[in-house]
Amino acid sequence: MGAFDMLGIAHSSLTTHQTWLDTLSHNIANASTARPTDQAAFQAQFVMAEAQDAGGVRVSGLALGDPEGRMVHQPDHPLADENGYVRMPDIDMGAQMSQLIMAQRGFQAQTSVIRNAQDVYSSALSIGRNA
Amino acid sequence: MSIGAIEPGGFLPFAPPTIDPVTTPTAAPAAGAAPVGASAGVDFASMLTTGIERLEGLQDRADSLAVQAATGDLSQIHDYTITATEAAVSTQLTTAVRNKALEAFQEIMRIAI
Repeated sequence: MGAFDMLGIAHSSLTTHQTWLDTLSHNIANASTARPTDQAAFQAQFVMAEAQDAGGVRVSGLALGDPEGRMVHQPDHPLADENGYVRMPDIDMGAQMSQLIMAQRGFQAQTSVIRNAQDVYSSALSIGRNA
Repeated sequence: MSIGAIEPGGFLPFAPPTIDPVTTPTAAPAAGAAPVGASAGVDFASMLTTGIERLEGLQDRADSLAVQAATGDLSQIHDYTITATEAAVSTQLTTAVRNKALEAFQEIMRIAI
């Protein structure tokens, strides 16, 4: 354990949350990405988080969503097959948006921890100071 | 009465004492006897040098991240802000130790003979 562990742990958490936000951005950006039916649909990315023994969290990997997707009948779509279907990703925008809020709040909570850590360090430094 | 030297605990990462139930009886007295000795002045000097070296490394890291931020190569903003915070707090800690040492020295110089 070091003197600045609080900052190191907060750093790992912020990095993980940022990865989470990145994947959510990627998923939302591709929520309407159509593919021809003979190809796999866009697969949503999900962050797998893992606690670290030395403290903190890290991204252990990215899980991918269903390649099956949803078959949507859109005959006028340039990628539609002979039956008029395209493959859309199986992404629930509502779920993505609520995860976005969770990731954002998690990030903010961790920045409050850092602010708190700074207060703790400065009060420790002020011990025994004259004036 | 002997006054122990300022130990390097403030600068180095705090290592919580690990108590091994098997080796405790033999290890404990040796550990207790070690810190206070005649080489207290050398300890403080080397502690100060290590502390300043660590501080220099931290500031170098913060500087290189600041350059990355300026050139647009910084992938994560908090990388820089956290390193800069750590460097700032370390600087304050180093100056606090230095001020305390100087204070103690001046206090001793003021002793009337």
